[in-house]
Amino acid sequence: MKRKALLISPELCIGCRGCQTACKSWNQLPGAKTTNRGTYENPPDLTPDLYNRIRYVEMPSETNLVRWLFVRQMCMHCDDAGCIKICPAPGALFKTKEGAVAFNKDKCIGCKLCVAGCPFDVPRYDEKDKISKCHLCSDRIAEGLAPACAKTCPTGAIAYGDRDDLIGKAQKAGYQKVYGQTDLGGLGAIYAFKDTPKIYGMDERPAIPESVVFWHRVLKPLAYIGLGGAVAASLIHYAAFGPKREEGGEEK
Amino acid sequence: MTQMVRKANAFEILNHWVIAISFFVLTISGFGFLFHLEQLNSVFGSFNNTKVIHNWAGVVFSVSLFFTLFYYLPEALRLSSDDIGWILKAGGYFSKKAVVSPQDKLNTGQKFYYLFVLVLGIAIAASGFIIWLMPGVRKWVLLSHLVHNISFDLMIIAFPIHIYLGTLANPGTFRIMVYGTVPLEWAKKRHAKWVQKMGL
Ligand code: SF4
Ligand code: SF4
Repeated sequence: MKRKALLISPELCIGCRGCQTACKSWNQLPGAKTTNRGTYENPPDLTPDLYNRIRYVEMPSETNLVRWLFVRQMCMHCDDAGCIKICPAPGALFKTKEGAVAFNKDKCIGCKLCVAGCPFDVPRYDEKDKISKCHLCSDRIAEGLAPACAKTCPTGAIAYGDRDDLIGKAQKAGYQKVYGQTDLGGLGAIYAFKDTPKIYGMDERPAIPESVVFWHRVLKPLAYIGLGGAVAASLIHYAAFGPKREEGGEEK
Repeated sequence: MTQMVRKANAFEILNHWVIAISFFVLTISGFGFLFHLEQLNSVFGSFNNTKVIHNWAGVVFSVSLFFTLFYYLPEALRLSSDDIGWILKAGGYFSKKAVVSPQDKLNTGQKFYYLFVLVLGIAIAASGFIIWLMPGVRKWVLLSHLVHNISFDLMIIAFPIHIYLGTLANPGTFRIMVYGTVPLEWAKKRHAKWVQKMGL
């Protein structure tokens, strides 16, 4: 099966937040009472009940003194996902055949290590300490439907489809490098940025923390190599030198 | 009848078994987390249980490690030139003819093993508690995750060697873990300075 993805085009977004609402509606997530913080951006951060939100970035440019960028914040569905890598509970986080990073609350043990492993500060926790985040509407896409957000977006700022096709389309539209094209093995949420990612408040080079990569590549295998090696060394020593005995009274 | 001397008291023996069993449980569950060993569910029930057991076994381990301070730390820090002698002869483990310098209640290898376990034990316990009690604090959790796993790797290398030295490699030593006593003659050879100090 071809890998699916969402192509986000901030310049097409009108900030209606229909995607936030559609997401809540499909995933049956309650709304939250928030306060006016002097910005249209709302709520202020992802929560266990808010899988995606539109960040309002005020970024005046020389030609446009009131440039507003609407940048979507959500799980990026990394190919090389830090959350999956670090998660100690099998089946709690997993990849669907479409390439979505989905979760199973029953299998989640609530250790919250995925927060440390995720380069995008995405995983949140419900009141039972179980992981909660965007799963690319894995239940919908498994049936061939588009995710609720993409389905509802009136401007095409969120496009869902085969990842390769989306990248091809973006390139044809003039975007040299799509954000997330190669990062972390390729993100499942790719962004058509007209400017540097930094302007949009995104990490230029997102990466899994080095300590987690080191742990995965070195420390993990060392656990069983070390154990096996020590057992083998002991047995070899026994075969070569035998036990230490203090027999009779004679000094050796 | 062979004359025996007491090397470990009842509490020491019990405490050693407590730390041994907790370490064993922590290792098994830890391997389960590292390698997603779902087979463990037949023992622990589920990974949710495994986590709870791992955490509380960690508490038992920490308490037990604390008690070892009173028994082994003063001994382990009593280092002298005889310990250099022991190291130069590699404890006599690689030659039947080597004559090892006289040893205290703990020999040099045991002293260093204890200090090794103490340092790593504190590191693995502290990092474990941070992961458990400060979840989501990314900086601390990442550091602790690293420390926890490095200490574990070092411990898992040392642990089989400790068991080997306490059983197969030195017949007659395992009884200390059961009865706490050793034959006086044996002690004179292995822990001459200790026997001398006791005036036997
Ligand atoms: S529905 Fe589309 S246009 Fe509206 S906020 Fe969401 S992405 Fe932007
Ligand atoms: S963005 Fe974070 S939570 Fe989403 S797949 Fe990547 S690592 Fe996992």
